[in-house]
Amino acid sequence: MIKIEIINGPIEFFRNEDSRQKDGAELIFNGRVRVTENGENITALEYEQYKGMAEAELTQLAEETCKKFPIHDLFCKHRIGRVDVGETSLHVVIWSKHRKEGLEAMTWFISELKKRVPIWKWAILEDGSRIPSECSHG
Amino acid sequence: MININVKCFSQVKYAFGKDELNLELEVGATTLDLEKIIREKADGKLDTVSLRIALNQKYIPHETELKDRDEVAFIPPVQGG
Repeated sequence: MIKIEIINGPIEFFRNEDSRQKDGAELIFNGRVRVTENGENITALEYEQYKGMAEAELTQLAEETCKKFPIHDLFCKHRIGRVDVGETSLHVVIWSKHRKEGLEAMTWFISELKKRVPIWKWAILEDGSRIPSECSHG
Repeated sequence: MININVKCFSQVKYAFGKDELNLELEVGATTLDLEKIIREKADGKLDTVSLRIALNQKYIPHETELKDRDEVAFIPPVQGG
């Protein structure tokens, strides 16, 4: 099963589940906003999405991940709008029978997300100016 | 003539100072024709920016003829996460 949410506001983490009997691994990834962006101090990032396409691409990517790796469930929340330094912008949880496939799926999912989901960052600098971030990871 | 809605994000938005552009093109115009127009209008601000093309909210790998009222986005390198 997959769950995808794009949220404008603080991320509420998915609830820990003690009832899962087939999953030996529960992997949780939280992406947080660093204080520097392209070598400059920032106060926040502002995430911009292509509304509609971002959620569609993220959903398709989650489905592909579940087909490519033997994992059971993948839940993902991505935040848009202003995210202050230290706050969570991305929250992903993957459940799998063993850790190996879960770790591989997590790495692939996040790498692909950074290549194809139409979401961008604007850096909010200490003087209050707002510029598109040039930071892009493969 | 056909009317095309261009959605602007990130560096494209920064270059034009707008969320979207509405352009009138000749019948038969393609996505590559539109990209050329967009890059010229940006007056050099997009010269070093690689752009993928999304047509009606889907990436397209090849040059495609545009139809009236199509929605096009020139997608700069994405940065989610």
